[in-house]
Amino acid sequence: MANALFYLMAAGAVAAALGVVLAKSPIQCVLSLLASFFCLATIYLLAGFQFLAAAQILVYAGAIMVLFLFVIMLLNLGNPSSKDGAEDGLFRRKGAFLSVIVAAATMAAGAMAVTADGLAPATQPMPEHGIDTINGLAGEMFGRYLLPFEAISILLLATAVAVVVLAKRDRKDAGKGS
Amino acid sequence: MIEWSVLLAWIVKATVIYLGLVNVGALMTLAERKFSAWMQYRIGPNRVGPFGLLQPLADGVKFIFKEELMPAGANKMLFRFAPVIAALPSMMTIAVIPFTTKDVVLGGWNIGTFSIVNLDIGVLYILALGGLSVYGLIIGGWASNSKYSLLGGLRASAQMISYELTLILTILAVVVMAGSLDLQQIALSQNKVTDWNIWYQPLAFLMFVVATFAETNRHPFDFAECEPELVAGFHTEYSSMKFALFFIGEYSAMTVMACLTTTLFLGGPSVPFLEDPHWALQIAAFLAKAGFFLFLFIWVRWTLPRFRFDQLMALGWKVFLPLALLNLLATGVVKSLV
Repeated sequence: MANALFYLMAAGAVAAALGVVLAKSPIQCVLSLLASFFCLATIYLLAGFQFLAAAQILVYAGAIMVLFLFVIMLLNLGNPSSKDGAEDGLFRRKGAFLSVIVAAATMAAGAMAVTADGLAPATQPMPEHGIDTINGLAGEMFGRYLLPFEAISILLLATAVAVVVLAKRDRKDAGKGS
Repeated sequence: MIEWSVLLAWIVKATVIYLGLVNVGALMTLAERKFSAWMQYRIGPNRVGPFGLLQPLADGVKFIFKEELMPAGANKMLFRFAPVIAALPSMMTIAVIPFTTKDVVLGGWNIGTFSIVNLDIGVLYILALGGLSVYGLIIGGWASNSKYSLLGGLRASAQMISYELTLILTILAVVVMAGSLDLQQIALSQNKVTDWNIWYQPLAFLMFVVATFAETNRHPFDFAECEPELVAGFHTEYSSMKFALFFIGEYSAMTVMACLTTTLFLGGPSVPFLEDPHWALQIAAFLAKAGFFLFLFIWVRWTLPRFRFDQLMALGWKVFLPLALLNLLATGVVKSLV
């Protein structure tokens, strides 16, 4: 049953991901992405990663996608109108080209990582208490991986500050311009 | 394979808890009208059944027979789907609430502690799923193709995201106190009345309760509906059972929040001055505490005037967020010193 559920969810995740790039209305794109997140979270659960699944839903589905939806609704992005169809087509071709490149690069990187180490993730020795329990996860994160963890925190903080600065500058310019 | 008795125990517990949740929701609609009537020197519903007790049943029948309206230009699929998204997550979150810390024994048959599941990450499970009910409000507001609904949905999303921060940070203070994300463990750590978190975390308790009001879109923070400005907000265009589903979702969310407050701050099923109470007593104690918080929702609604939206945002971001962060920091420092 777990296998069947896995294949169902994997298919669902792929189908939803296709929906993200193929759907016409931005709202449908966002909702497809949401569905994809849910399928992924279920797969994490099946693999025994409870915390990861909960974090996936809490952070991506619960917070970030709500903001996406918020912005899309606030800007009221409807279906792309037919009059700028040519521009739209060009945009789509470029987008498709870029996404193929990115997908290929990701796959190549993944393949290289696997072949370079010569091991599948499952054969890697897990920490003795397992990484899934909260204690195990916290131990690893604030022990062995403390430096990367702090580096990512600083990176995220810098990004947040940068976004605030950029948004403020835009607003000032707009105020002067009009 | 799972043993049959365990499976049966699960089914029994799930059935009892979910039926209880839905019935509490129905009774809350009645209680809301009764208490508001008494507070305003009226009688309230008293025609259906003794003391109007069967009023929710009459309401339900009426909802079913009402015409289902579909606004022109609405997104049909999402319009139908939104009430389900609004109701489902809050109904799912009740699964991890521990109604007892002791095993329930029915005539020699031990069905375990009275909660549907006991997750290591119970707190995260509630936060993750509870944060999703906002989609029902946003999508419902957007799909209705009405400006009032859209504004209601937008307000709901802004408000719920803002107050989720306070909610999470105050819960984290409790998690630091108990050293676990498991609600059962959190309840066990407050077995004695002197160990209740409300005594050690009064500030977190206060902020948490206020944040639950904002999270469930209840008065004085019900800007998603706000009838003087937005007709009825996100559910302006809804009728019939779809409208009722929004209500069921709201009352389920309130019930779960009341249960969560009880578990986090009032020791959950712990009975004051009893070291080792019977499980039935534990359930009774839990329901009494949660009942008080449910009453608080009603009490506040009919007592306080509504905020302004900018006041709500200022309170959330400029007062609660820094206070909750400081509280968490202080908790961590004290906990590591003691």
